[in-house]
Amino acid sequence: MKLEILFTALPLALVAIIFQFLPLLTRRGIFFSATVDPEFPQSADGRRLLRSYRLQAALWTLIAIALGLVLAPQHPEYAALAPALLLVMGISVSYWLKFREVHERYGEHRPEIRRAELSPRTSGEAFSAWLWLPPFLALAAIGVYLQAHWNLLPERFPVHWGVDGQPNRWASRTWSGVYGPLLIGAGLNLFMLGVAWLVTRQSRKTAMQRIMVRLSELLLYPMTFASAAAAVLPLVSFPIWLIPVVMTVSIAAVIYWAYRQISVPTVDDATPEPQSDSYWRAGMFYYNPNDPAIFVSKRVGIGYTMNFANKISWVVLVGILLMALLPVLLIRK
Amino acid sequence: MSSGLTLRIDLDSGVPAYRQIVDGLRILLVSGKLAPGSELPSVRRIAVDLGVHFNTVAEAYRTLAEEGWLELRHGRGATVVERDAPAANAEKVTEFRRRLRALVAEMQSQGASAAKLSVELRNAANELDL
Repeated sequence: MKLEILFTALPLALVAIIFQFLPLLTRRGIFFSATVDPEFPQSADGRRLLRSYRLQAALWTLIAIALGLVLAPQHPEYAALAPALLLVMGISVSYWLKFREVHERYGEHRPEIRRAELSPRTSGEAFSAWLWLPPFLALAAIGVYLQAHWNLLPERFPVHWGVDGQPNRWASRTWSGVYGPLLIGAGLNLFMLGVAWLVTRQSRKTAMQRIMVRLSELLLYPMTFASAAAAVLPLVSFPIWLIPVVMTVSIAAVIYWAYRQISVPTVDDATPEPQSDSYWRAGMFYYNPNDPAIFVSKRVGIGYTMNFANKISWVVLVGILLMALLPVLLIRK
Repeated sequence: MSSGLTLRIDLDSGVPAYRQIVDGLRILLVSGKLAPGSELPSVRRIAVDLGVHFNTVAEAYRTLAEEGWLELRHGRGATVVERDAPAANAEKVTEFRRRLRALVAEMQSQGASAAKLSVELRNAANELDL
């Protein structure tokens, strides 16, 4: 029961911490997704709005954890999902109300100046081969190593572990069993690079674009580490907890680097995003029928959101979801 | 190549985006900053960067192609071509005079002196004259 409480409350608490800081993870001059004076968040009204939002977010977190604890004994299958949904929806409503208040009472208008560079450029120029190539080479090198030591591999070895650290799924010394983790790793890496490439084609040349491409390239390393470690585990002995710890620490470090990059006040975009708050529904969803861009820099947090007025965005969204689910479906099969 | 050049439009100005794109590119063409042989980005690239509809940019490219400045390449953008300047006809000069008078009146109503506007006009003409 104690373990159930831990696994119900811990993820919700982590999500809640992110939501507490969400309004601050943005560019200067944006507050709750609304355009404001860059000094407004430090004003008395700005601080009051932030306090009020954080209080509401904390209340939603407590309600979600309580729901999780009620559901856990009788309906463990819903104990994680239902509270998470409630938490996201509740805090989203609080965020939307704050966006509306900031926009209507303290919002500013920025001129809709748009720029386009006239140099013909390719989508691939943002990528650095010296950064994205090594993970693929590392996976290939481990493949060669496994091939060379094929006879040393045990006939049967664990490939999945439960939360208690005990193996609960096994593979045999077959082509798919041995090289499966490497192929899944290479596939995930390619998928990550593919999405980054699509973003460079269908978004403006902003600071976010440069950061996102670099972020995608850097994230290949923890992902590759996990695949490589899983692949060599039958031959090399090391504590299994090392994989999630190294991944968590390195991903957190890369994301922290990205946040530092976007919060630089002097960042000047070569081709700025549309400025008006009217393009942002509820402060969260970009909707601009005149804009052919599919990917638009998020106003809060790092990364991109989609232009939901563009039909192609929905197709891309479904494609990304299917691709992201594919490894999970393959593993379950 | 046309590296380092930027097209800028202001959607709050009241002037249609199509007109601003044509005007902005024409200034670069007349001044020689976009020289014959320069390649312009595709319609899709410019439209995504400016956040305006594809047709707006395509129409601007077509207008400049009809004026003899650009050669359009399907799906690949446009190339600046050599162009012989046509002789200014009387009708064009009359139209120019009408637009200029409207612009001068607008500026004078905002306090700009005739002398100041003369200097501005001379500077603009010299800047674009090859």
